[in-house]
Amino acid sequence: MKISRKWLQQLVDLSGVKDEDIASRLTMLGIEVESYENFAARYDGFVVGAVLEVAKHPNADKLKLCKVDIGGETKSIVCGAPNVAAGQKVPVGLVGAKVPHNQHDPEGKPFQLTRAKIRGIESEGMICSANELGLGDDKSGIMVLDDAAAQGTPLSDYLGLNDTVFEISLTPNRADCLSHLGVARELVSAFSKKFIPRRIKITEDGASITESVKIEVAAQDLCPRYSARLIRKVKVGPSPKWLKGAVESVGIRSINNVVDATNYVMMELGQPLHAFDLNRIAGHKIIVRRPTEDETKFTTLDGKERNISPEMVMICDKEKIVAVGGVMGGMNSEISEDTTEVLIESANFNPSSIRRTSKALGLSTEASYRIERGVDPNLTIRALDRVSEIIAETSGGKLAPGIIDVAAMKFLPKRVELHVDHVNRLLGTRLATGEIIRVLESIEIPCDKKSETVLICSVPTFRGDIERDVDLIEEVGRVYGYEQITDSFQTKLNFDTRFRKSTVLDELRDLLAGAGFNEIMTNSLQSVDVAGFHEPSFVVLANPISEDMAAMRTTLLPGTLQTVGVNLAHGLKDMKLFEIGQVYRVIDEQQVVGRFLESAKISMALSGTADPMSFDRKESKFDIFDLKTEIERVLAFLKLDSWDFISYDTTKEYKQSLKLFVNGTELGLAGKVGKTALQKLSVDQDVYFAELDLTSLLALQKSTNRFRSLPKFPFASIDLSFIVNNQTPAADLMNTLRVAAGDMFRDISVFDIYSGEGIPDGKKSIAFSMVLGSEERTLNEGDIAGFIEKAEKTLKEKFSAELRKQKS
Amino acid sequence: MLEEIQKLKDEATSALASLKSSDDAENFRLQYLSRKGALAQLFEKLKDVPKEKKPALGKSLNELRSFLENEFESSKNNLGGKAATSDGNIDLSIPGRKRYTGRKHPLTQTADEIKRIFTNIGFGIADGPEIEDDYHNFEALNFPPDHPARDMQDTFFVKSEEGKYVLRTHTSGVQVRVMEKNKPPVRVIMPGRVYRNEAISARSYCLFHQVEGLYVDKNVSLAELKGTIAYFAKEFFNEEAKLRFRPSYFPFTEPSAEVDVNCFVCGGKGCKICKYSGWLEIMGCGMVDPNVFKAVKYDENEVSGYAFGMGIERLALLRYGIDDIRLFFENDLRFLNQF
Ligand SMILES: [Zn+2]
Repeated sequence: MKISRKWLQQLVDLSGVKDEDIASRLTMLGIEVESYENFAARYDGFVVGAVLEVAKHPNADKLKLCKVDIGGETKSIVCGAPNVAAGQKVPVGLVGAKVPHNQHDPEGKPFQLTRAKIRGIESEGMICSANELGLGDDKSGIMVLDDAAAQGTPLSDYLGLNDTVFEISLTPNRADCLSHLGVARELVSAFSKKFIPRRIKITEDGASITESVKIEVAAQDLCPRYSARLIRKVKVGPSPKWLKGAVESVGIRSINNVVDATNYVMMELGQPLHAFDLNRIAGHKIIVRRPTEDETKFTTLDGKERNISPEMVMICDKEKIVAVGGVMGGMNSEISEDTTEVLIESANFNPSSIRRTSKALGLSTEASYRIERGVDPNLTIRALDRVSEIIAETSGGKLAPGIIDVAAMKFLPKRVELHVDHVNRLLGTRLATGEIIRVLESIEIPCDKKSETVLICSVPTFRGDIERDVDLIEEVGRVYGYEQITDSFQTKLNFDTRFRKSTVLDELRDLLAGAGFNEIMTNSLQSVDVAGFHEPSFVVLANPISEDMAAMRTTLLPGTLQTVGVNLAHGLKDMKLFEIGQVYRVIDEQQVVGRFLESAKISMALSGTADPMSFDRKESKFDIFDLKTEIERVLAFLKLDSWDFISYDTTKEYKQSLKLFVNGTELGLAGKVGKTALQKLSVDQDVYFAELDLTSLLALQKSTNRFRSLPKFPFASIDLSFIVNNQTPAADLMNTLRVAAGDMFRDISVFDIYSGEGIPDGKKSIAFSMVLGSEERTLNEGDIAGFIEKAEKTLKEKFSAELRKQKS
Repeated sequence: MLEEIQKLKDEATSALASLKSSDDAENFRLQYLSRKGALAQLFEKLKDVPKEKKPALGKSLNELRSFLENEFESSKNNLGGKAATSDGNIDLSIPGRKRYTGRKHPLTQTADEIKRIFTNIGFGIADGPEIEDDYHNFEALNFPPDHPARDMQDTFFVKSEEGKYVLRTHTSGVQVRVMEKNKPPVRVIMPGRVYRNEAISARSYCLFHQVEGLYVDKNVSLAELKGTIAYFAKEFFNEEAKLRFRPSYFPFTEPSAEVDVNCFVCGGKGCKICKYSGWLEIMGCGMVDPNVFKAVKYDENEVSGYAFGMGIERLALLRYGIDDIRLFFENDLRFLNQF
């Protein structure tokens, strides 16, 4: 919202107060000033000049020598404009002034005027074009001002720009500051100033309003107060310069002298007003009511037809709707050039009703914005008088005697009890009773002492936000100044076990960062197609920003692939990425909130080079076993002792694919991402991706560990190779060997797979390295031989395997 | 005797300098350091010197021994290096093999730092759901239905037939959940992901992360809130961080304040980062509104409390001088590897 200093100064004496102090004090009172601009400062050093004579420049044909009176002093100025002539009033920049726009500079940067010789003749200033002053595009010649302008007048005064405009950002509770009056109240308190006393001057004339207009409020729940005045013999026309300038200075478009007057009063006092052409009101009767079932459409002032519904409040005449109460008037009763009788509405509506209406219509206006936040119900009459004063002055209208004022009740100040010790306890202060009274009274909240430490405060109706003692305490803190409250920091260190959170996720992040992974964070919104592809019952947003963010993610895969794509686009081809994040779905059972299940997943992606080429080694690309390494790293970290990978090839997005099972439950997928998925995100190299159900894994995590005494006897290691059918999975052989070794088993790995020369067709040779041991003794040759015999026999039975070689 | 010690030192030093092979080294060892070597012989002679001279000479001899042993070891090692170069022809100036260096996301790092600071002063950690019901996200926090305060946050609504659900717009709902389940006193921070239905730009993203704090106990005051935040700012930014508490409005706190820290880019003189105000907004805070206490069945006459909330992205932007919030979610490795 824009607030004009010139306007404020009509309400409160601000002499000697600097703009920057107004801005900083308001901000520290919770009325945040985002920025302010002093228009007068922009034209410092520019005055109105009268051109006395124009002569030729002795050394240049296109230049002229001008004598210009700038108010009691004559300056000699060299000017190159073709249109300069004696008798003109012109804008003159004096030496030292900053010309806002240099028309010879391609960027139009401002420049400062210096005393300069132009072709040998000194110029004591510059006559400017509109373009140079930043007032328009015209640079064909100098700007010529009104003949009536007096030489010597500061240019900003002539232009009506001698003002500072503050841009204020208000929190929704401070509806009282949505006007110059409200801001002025804060300044009165901040700078201990006084309001300028002023009486509204109105003269009533002719027949009483009640003889011409009837008003009935049928929906008093939605409209607690409806006041109106009538002005006759109005001549609608353009607003005078002061009124137009005032509304434009706060960003409102000037329309005509009647509409501008209503807007002016709204910006001054905060009361939204509406002007009707009385002759377009059927039966000269206003009825405030809900629409009937048949009334479903209404065309507002902006020419749009809108759908209305039965819970809204409408301003109607005997035949039709003429306005959406508190939001916008209609075209059918709008003020026009032919209007002569103006009925001014000054009403108070129910804030939540107006908010619902404004939301439903998708129409927010200056009026609805204020009403939603709460307007002082006792402002209607003052606003009517003020607007009548202005309309009478600017349009020659005659004010009909009397006001129609339909009110549901009397609106009295709220009485709120305030305990001094509560103030001090909550703020951490030691304010005396008298100090609290002084602070509250400075913002027009009178206090009576019920006792030495209990106050009864009368909260005026313009502070609808203050209802309770804490609200008053906030006012005390705010006006007294948060800065005046001494910091206290006496944390008592009683650590609370209820809120001790597991740090396993932090540790997991450290583990993976240590293993060379970059942590990524991706959007948790994705398209409906993507979410639904991975999980049929997903969460959909009712009001998404866009189609591609209309659902909650069901998998971390797309975000990861997108990250791979982004980095490939930048020429980064090698990456190890992980993400720990939530996925969301809808399930049948009730959850903490609704039936929405949020669970944590961990994703890992490998793409590019696993081991870069170096002077003595070949480059190796990531493959599925690198991915398994990383998954097993996580599982081992969580101290899980057994898991299975089942390979399958039916999924839609993986080529080489594995499912992870722990304790018989499927807890993750891993594999080489398929072509289709890659192409969608323009990824043109292999990506190995795993996504594990972290919530479930954490539940299976072995938390306590018991120490096992270290082995007393050395282990023996042996290598065994078997010839088996090509299709026999290594994992099955390994499991069988593990079982065969029984208590002696310590470890096993595959160290060679070979087929080709020396191996029959359809067969492969597979070599294992095994570690065996015993708790009781060092294994002897007999133990090893016994195991090998058993292994050979079992593998032969189960897999028709043949022992090829052994080494121990 | 002293002269002999000096003489041996000079001889041995020049012999060390001329070692060329491991055979030379072995010869040196035999000649000087072995049991029958020159050094041992000098120790032998020590027996015959007068008593009063023994300590000083003994000291010199011991010093010579450790000097020679050290020098010999390092000369031998250098010999090894040179030998390897000539034998295997390995250029040791070749850099080590390139491996991946992983890093945690800058937002994780920032959140970790915030968590560290608050857990150090007795705060616990709690979390809650991201898909939240209207009650916990708004109503229990004193946002009545149809109240303009709801416009302060652009909300995503979830399609659902059975109730009104939103993607939480702040982590404040966790406050309510924590108080519903736990009797006072409570002192927790609540980090988490939150959502705003705003167009994506350099300054805003559809989601971000917050850390909310809550302390409810007997006699918690605004002065205590100010002191705690001042401690946080000094830890998180630096010892010189100056704060400004500006009155503001949040439905769930009364009184409420916005906290600004003095701009560390321009030192408060005004620059582009602080929009020429000299101050940077870092968080909102205030004293828990009695209506929130009513909603969680706390006795507002017994306890009082403060709450604060800060955006992790905002703090990370300020801390690292990042100018575009989208960078956090693009995961460009050239970005991630800087932190
Ligand atoms: Zn700055």
